[in-house]
Amino acid sequence: MSGEALRSVDLRKIYQSRGTPPVEALTGVSMEVHRGERVALLGRNGAGKTTFLKIASTLLRPTSGSVEVFGFDIARSPEKARPYIAVVPQEGKPFFHLTPREQIYTYLRARGFARETAKARTEESLERMGLNEFADRLSVTLSGGQRQRTMVATVIATEAPLLFLDEPTIGMDPFARREVWSSLRSLTQKGSTILLTTHYLDEAEVLSNRLYIVERGAVLSAGTAEELKASVGGTLKVLIPSGAVQVEQFRSFGTCVTDGLSLTVIVNPHTLGDVMEIVERSEMTATVGPVTLEEAFLRAVGRSINED
Amino acid sequence: MKTSTPLAPSRAFAGTAAFLWTEVLVQGNERMAMLTSMVVPGIILVFVEILNPALIGVALVGAILFSTFTMGQRVLNEAAYLRIDHKANDLYLAGPMTPEAYFLGMSVGIMIIYLAPTVFLGVLAVVVVPLSLGTGLLLFALAAAVWLFAASTGYIFSTFFLDNRAIWAYSSLFFNVFGVLAPVFYPLGLFPSALRPIVLLMPPSAAAALVQSVIGAATLAPWQTALAAGGLVAETVAVFVFAIYWARRTVMAD
Repeated sequence: MSGEALRSVDLRKIYQSRGTPPVEALTGVSMEVHRGERVALLGRNGAGKTTFLKIASTLLRPTSGSVEVFGFDIARSPEKARPYIAVVPQEGKPFFHLTPREQIYTYLRARGFARETAKARTEESLERMGLNEFADRLSVTLSGGQRQRTMVATVIATEAPLLFLDEPTIGMDPFARREVWSSLRSLTQKGSTILLTTHYLDEAEVLSNRLYIVERGAVLSAGTAEELKASVGGTLKVLIPSGAVQVEQFRSFGTCVTDGLSLTVIVNPHTLGDVMEIVERSEMTATVGPVTLEEAFLRAVGRSINED
Repeated sequence: MKTSTPLAPSRAFAGTAAFLWTEVLVQGNERMAMLTSMVVPGIILVFVEILNPALIGVALVGAILFSTFTMGQRVLNEAAYLRIDHKANDLYLAGPMTPEAYFLGMSVGIMIIYLAPTVFLGVLAVVVVPLSLGTGLLLFALAAAVWLFAASTGYIFSTFFLDNRAIWAYSSLFFNVFGVLAPVFYPLGLFPSALRPIVLLMPPSAAAALVQSVIGAATLAPWQTALAAGGLVAETVAVFVFAIYWARRTVMAD
């Protein structure tokens, strides 16, 4: 096992199907995921995140470009890369007629784990994901969130060197999401590497060492959450519910985004006083909060859309 | 930093036994489904017993072959359902388990669970036909070939569907035309002679014709025996080898 956990160079994917025009899902994605990192792919629906994950996890043939997993080219020798990876597929479901305990155990056995190891890891994973209460109920009787937890528990029990998780916490309650986050953190501490997609920006922020924002098959921006937030142009956001009509008064202080009647102004702490003075003088109200990853994401993706 | 390492080498058929057991557990939890495999042969046997009891031995042999043939329909349905609805291919095949292990584990697991009705029919055949040891062994070998052909065909077909609803219609059509309409439950002699070479090339009816000729229910010319036996072996081997190739080929979608 050598090289980066994952490296893609100018990866392109064009879906061809008879009777419909070709769809260019990836237009040249290059990225690296270092060993032990947790990296999130962010993007709108159809941006190309799942396509990238499927190619990287040896389930989809790229049109051109390359992906290496621990130094193995996934198009030329996928069978060499596969023992090092595990995948939580998007919208995957456990076997309905297995219990979570059976699901995890049989999956580990299918991956070649010895009985005792599989048994121990199954119990550990059930415990870690808070599934003990439902461990012996058929999955068909579980809720959507519990099934999703079973899927994640199944895959993280492998402790594979590289895990791909496509929207792993979808449908989970906030407590279950935090259990997943904690499990993923402890996995990377043990040496695993994680590449995940999510639409939950809070999740991406608290969980990932680095993020890639993908739009229309290309990487728009990359960096840590702090770096991406810094690109917005300030660290604070001032939300003025009826400020849109007076947007011109605020333009000199920072980026202004209108949404219907409301106005959001991105500012730095040293200009906050000036902005609030205008708000007060105009007899408006305002809420001040820190800039979140959501602003960075909306700004990056929105700018890309507007550029078209 | 400690780095976890993979435990299983990606050798051919790695994981077959474990996935077989998974499938046995999954299918075993659907006990009613096991009984449904007896519905069609059971109804046909009742009709034959009422309308022409002299043909019950032939019909029983046909029922055994039909029951192994329709295991392929279950492989088709299961493989497509798990791939489309559960994304089990993504879960299992992006890992050390090989695609041929996935295909074989699923097929054998389904066969084990649905074997009970076939064994029951076999016991009935021993009593009713009656079958000699040699004929019994021939029937066993032919039923195994029919199963392998059907399971391989079912797995290959399963990869072409994007929607489960479409599968039910096509799989039912395929398995009933080849397993019921063709002379599987009735003697080859009742089938139009001009079309016999065609049915002798279809595994279930070829197998039925071979057993019928041994128990005296049909007369096969040497070339017909050769066509049925040669065709069955060649088709089974070819489809099985292609299924292995196809299982590997389709892990990575285009």
